[in-house]
Amino acid sequence: MSKDAPRSMAVMFQMMSQMIETEKDYLSELDGAIGDGDHGITMSIGFLAINAELAKLDLGRASLSDVMSTAASGFLNAVGASTGPLYATGFRHAAKALVDRPALDLPTCADMIQAISTGIRERGKGQRGDKTMLDVWLPAADAAANAAAENKAVGAFWHDVVISAENGAAATRSMIATKGRAARVRERSLGHIDPGAASAALLIRVMADALQ
Amino acid sequence: MTLKALSSRKGGANRTGTAEGLDVMPLRYGDDPYVWACWLYYEDGMTQGEIADAMGVSRATVNSYLADAREKGIVNISLEPARLASLTIAQELKRHFGLADCLVVPSDDNARPLIDRLGVAGAHALQKLLKSGDTLAVAWGRTILSVGEHTNIGSLQDMTVVQATGGTTASFAYTPELTASAVAQSISARCVNITAPAIVASAQMQRMLLDEPLLKEQFAALGRANRIVFGISSLRPNSTIHTSGFFESVSLQEYLAKGAAGVVAGRFIDERGKPVSGPLDERTIGISLDMLRGIGTRIAVAGGFDKVPALLAALRGGYVNVLITDAATGGGILRADGVTSLDSRLSPRQKPVSAPSSYRTHVKKFLNNPNVVVEEMLDGVVKAHAKHLLPINGSHRALVARHGPRVGKVGLVIGGGTGHEPCFIGYVGKGLADAVAIGNIFSSPPPDPIVQCALAASGGEGVLFVYGNYAGDVMNFEMAAEIAEEQGIPIRTVLTTDDIASSPLEDREGRRGVAGNFFIFKVAGAACDQGLTLAACEAVTRKANARTFTVGVALEPCSMPQTRRYNFEIGPEDMEIGMGIHGEPGVSRERIRTADEIVDTIMDNIFKEMKAAPGDRVAVLVNSFGATPMMELYILFRRVEQRLAAKNIVIEANWIGHYCTSLDMAGASISILHLDQQLTELLHHPCETATLTIN
Repeated sequence: MSKDAPRSMAVMFQMMSQMIETEKDYLSELDGAIGDGDHGITMSIGFLAINAELAKLDLGRASLSDVMSTAASGFLNAVGASTGPLYATGFRHAAKALVDRPALDLPTCADMIQAISTGIRERGKGQRGDKTMLDVWLPAADAAANAAAENKAVGAFWHDVVISAENGAAATRSMIATKGRAARVRERSLGHIDPGAASAALLIRVMADALQ
Repeated sequence: MTLKALSSRKGGANRTGTAEGLDVMPLRYGDDPYVWACWLYYEDGMTQGEIADAMGVSRATVNSYLADAREKGIVNISLEPARLASLTIAQELKRHFGLADCLVVPSDDNARPLIDRLGVAGAHALQKLLKSGDTLAVAWGRTILSVGEHTNIGSLQDMTVVQATGGTTASFAYTPELTASAVAQSISARCVNITAPAIVASAQMQRMLLDEPLLKEQFAALGRANRIVFGISSLRPNSTIHTSGFFESVSLQEYLAKGAAGVVAGRFIDERGKPVSGPLDERTIGISLDMLRGIGTRIAVAGGFDKVPALLAALRGGYVNVLITDAATGGGILRADGVTSLDSRLSPRQKPVSAPSSYRTHVKKFLNNPNVVVEEMLDGVVKAHAKHLLPINGSHRALVARHGPRVGKVGLVIGGGTGHEPCFIGYVGKGLADAVAIGNIFSSPPPDPIVQCALAASGGEGVLFVYGNYAGDVMNFEMAAEIAEEQGIPIRTVLTTDDIASSPLEDREGRRGVAGNFFIFKVAGAACDQGLTLAACEAVTRKANARTFTVGVALEPCSMPQTRRYNFEIGPEDMEIGMGIHGEPGVSRERIRTADEIVDTIMDNIFKEMKAAPGDRVAVLVNSFGATPMMELYILFRRVEQRLAAKNIVIEANWIGHYCTSLDMAGASISILHLDQQLTELLHHPCETATLTIN
């Protein structure tokens, strides 16, 4: 089990990349409504780069933390934009949280999600309600922590996490952006789902599929 | 609501008719004439004329009811899913591989063997494609034999069928001879057989046989073929190619080892469709791949999952321009070639958000591979401006000015996303920026190239970062600044915030940096070149930023090379004031007005913030967003000059052209730098870059 955990995580990143490829145009269209329309492309480039870096990693020897930090640097060096530093910092925090964690048990998964959201929050200096990806990551992290504390079963744990994430993404529709390019359009951002939140929800859904 | 839509849409002539019609409408239809019309048409089978009489409206009105009812979803016309899927797959195969035609057999009825269903479809294709006087080459195979068995065309004259390869032993039913004669019979054609074995014992024997006058004549007939029908053989273990005895299995292994993925008319191809050479090549008597590709209509009939790699290879190699296959195989080919859009189109579930229809418009661009546009552009940039620029450590994402950095001078690093050319690369050179970090389209570069730039630009006196105020750029440049400072290079940063339409005055620091970058970079570069300290360079750059005012107006959206679609929409009669250089929606959308009125709006906004007294001096930049031509820029400048002159403000210098673009956006921005003594001197300080040279 523990030997397979880094491989599961690498597969998770592959599945994330596939998901982003499928939804690339949709994400760019969301971004076109309130930003500059490149979110799908940016995410696509980033996750392709993650997989290219992970392909070089010897998964037989790598730890979970190694996989995460490889993803972080792969993403950062390929992307830039605002997504780059945000996810790179999130993944880097997760890499730290995963040190000496051999298996992807639920407490570990909860800590990982928590670390990703903390990293994103610190780098972006944002909070819930800003109409950003944090509106997905923060509730997902809370749901994961609660579900882990209540010793929920695997299925129930991920169900809670995914529902929180998707509710979070949907909630951005009724928010006014205060961060990033969408902030420039102020109230005109109303009614549009934040593309960063939409992609975050997709990633969390894939994470649930891959890790349970 | 329906009535309202109706009356607003209706012309005067029909109005009375409609009113009468509504009066006679049977109660059960409520007040909905659409439902009534549809019922009469689809359920009662009445003609449109009869319906017009029954409803008391014109025939044209009935016609539009029926059309509108489909749009409104009152009527749904549904095709049987399996048939729809095969149509969709056929259309997608045709599009993806640029085929002349494609026929996909639905996968639903598994009652009949696939080989029979493909035979029927092949027969259908021959019926459509063959014309009198054709010479049809026919390759051997089970599927093609099935085509022959299912074809029966008696109406064609002067037809010739030529066997495409030599013959084989008659140990199986679909030898080249039998296949060719079956097809010939089915279309009443003269049959020309190749009277030699398909594979002979030696290369010498092949050359001798091909010299025989009889074979020469038969090959001449083959050379006249204007159509060919052939199967595709897989090389997978259970394939007929192994059991047929056509090839010796020893030789097959050699081709497999060289990456052969399939067999087309007895010739081996790899997964990209390139010929794979091997020991049988010189011993084969039959059509060559080049000959095959020279034939106008190249009909491949093949199906079955194991044939997907071979079919994909044949399609990629251009050996096929009419494909006949089944839905499962066709879908497999598309998926194998990375066509993912198909799944969503085949699934009945709608996408969560459907895009506005105008997003579907593709824009024409000069492109090779849309995924490497930035790389290809930078290849060009580095070659074109080798006089000014040099890649840092071989990377095109970090470029240094060839005669820029020097010991004792503060280094100036600029950068940002691409799509704004000539910004930022055009402003790197002697007397201006020392290095530029380059991101993807409209995306900040990551920290690493920025750090490389800082190291390259450093002359020991620190480095100034100047870039537009965007969340992404700020995060990446901040991370880079932290890394550079850890390496002992003092960094100061000035964010450009010249776009006065992007945020109100109270939130000046939240504004974005746009074309005014041009002035701010110029001043910063000159300050650095004059040997000012890092703090002094920073201070004067801040002053330049504070005294630069820009407002942009977009007329048409820009389109991304990767999607070739518009990024956003601007209505046919609209313009957007305050549009950002990444296509960020502006502050207000208005009806387009005359050029002078637009300039007046812009200048009024600028005058509100720029406290210029009569006699003050300014520099003016009229900048195209990409698609707007010089002609219109001069028309804008004309009015800018009039407005400034009326206030007795002197234009010290002006630039008109493409200085900070937004891909192919139509629109322009006006930037004014309110000069003082120091800024004037720095503006005139010499510089030499790809875009700007001041002597």
